[in-house]
Amino acid sequence: MRVDLEDLLFSRGPFTLRGSGTFGEGVHLVSGPVGSGKSTLALLLAELSRPDSGAIRRQGITSALLLLQFPEYHITCPTVAEEAGSWGFAPDDVLARADLAGRGDTDPFHLSRGELKRLTLACTVMRNPDLLMLDEPFSSLDCAAKRKACRMIDERDEGITIIFSHERAVLPRVDTIWEMEGGTLTALGSVPGAISRWRHAPPYLAYALEQGARPENIRLSDAQEALCRTQG
Amino acid sequence: MQDPRLRLLSTAVLSLAAFASTTGAVAALIWWLVFTPRTKALPRPGVLLSLIAMIAVTALVSWWGGGPGVSYLVRMVAVLFLAAWAYAETEEGEMLAVAVWALGDRIGFEIGLIAEMGLTGLAVIRQDIDQIQVALALKGIRIGARSIVPIAALLIVAQIRRADEMARLLVVRGYTLGGRICPLFRTDSRDILASLSAVILGLLSCLPVRDVFILLQ
Repeated sequence: MRVDLEDLLFSRGPFTLRGSGTFGEGVHLVSGPVGSGKSTLALLLAELSRPDSGAIRRQGITSALLLLQFPEYHITCPTVAEEAGSWGFAPDDVLARADLAGRGDTDPFHLSRGELKRLTLACTVMRNPDLLMLDEPFSSLDCAAKRKACRMIDERDEGITIIFSHERAVLPRVDTIWEMEGGTLTALGSVPGAISRWRHAPPYLAYALEQGARPENIRLSDAQEALCRTQG
Repeated sequence: MQDPRLRLLSTAVLSLAAFASTTGAVAALIWWLVFTPRTKALPRPGVLLSLIAMIAVTALVSWWGGGPGVSYLVRMVAVLFLAAWAYAETEEGEMLAVAVWALGDRIGFEIGLIAEMGLTGLAVIRQDIDQIQVALALKGIRIGARSIVPIAALLIVAQIRRADEMARLLVVRGYTLGGRICPLFRTDSRDILASLSAVILGLLSCLPVRDVFILLQ
């Protein structure tokens, strides 16, 4: 199971996106500042936009799903329960997972953006596609909800998961790091080797590296463990 | 047309003429052919065809009921073409500049600000529709009669929320009433020729041709 990007080129107005590389099984983090082209790449990988040149080739992938950055766009039903049903799930399961138990009759537009994000995130993860793309899954979430979102992602034990995010505080365990800057996608490689090359690394990771620690992964707990090992 | 004042005047005069009579609509279409970039100023084919289809359905219903269906179709298509041209040519800040020039720093500024927010809203709606299409495709839902209600609900709710956010932002920044800008306009000879033609065509199409000849005698 893999997705190959072959000399991808996409232009719209003054913005140009370029990238090559392979997304294999596991969890990939595509990090980069706001406006760097992460959402555009997500649309291209989801085959919802077409590149001007180059190709995206999927191998061994039978299902793919993209979580949009703004969850409002996913709404198609008048109640939260029906909205969960529109993704093909029993509402109670989804609502429990999204911490929205008892809110089935609520109008989705009356949910806060964070609540709506939890709902759509739960639905997309529960679909369990071969290729799961999450565009800014942590935006609008508080720290507790971000940690829960990370656990949902960690529970996926097969397929390809690609997280497009500028989050720098609460992150899940990942296998590979990519950087997107000014429309150019760069593969930094596998974790933990890629951490030291990661220019957009969260402050806690940068601090751990400065102290000579070598975190095993990119979570705060990984940085803390590495510092403990180094400093005793 | 560079001068937004003359563009607005031409659009208003020709739209009124086109709406008032079929003769006015034909005159407006001829003006549109001569003085605008024509098809370059039209929206995407899908959007344009949808709008024309909506007008055509109304015209058909009118024709069926014995009303002026064909005339309605011609008149509304002319208005649509003029509106599309005016929208495509309008740049950010121009409506505010024209309103302040015409009505001053208080009422003019208020009206101009509302117009600017309305135009920005149209551009945002277009982006919203693109995103909704993507979201529906992800759920495997085709855009059709069944999806019109949720799409419309989403667009309306999104616009109301944005308007509310904008209003709060203006209050937070201390906005109360009016403001001061110094609008500058550039006018060239082609602008004057086009707007003068629009006014003449507008006047002629409002007057019965027979009366014009009586006046000339």
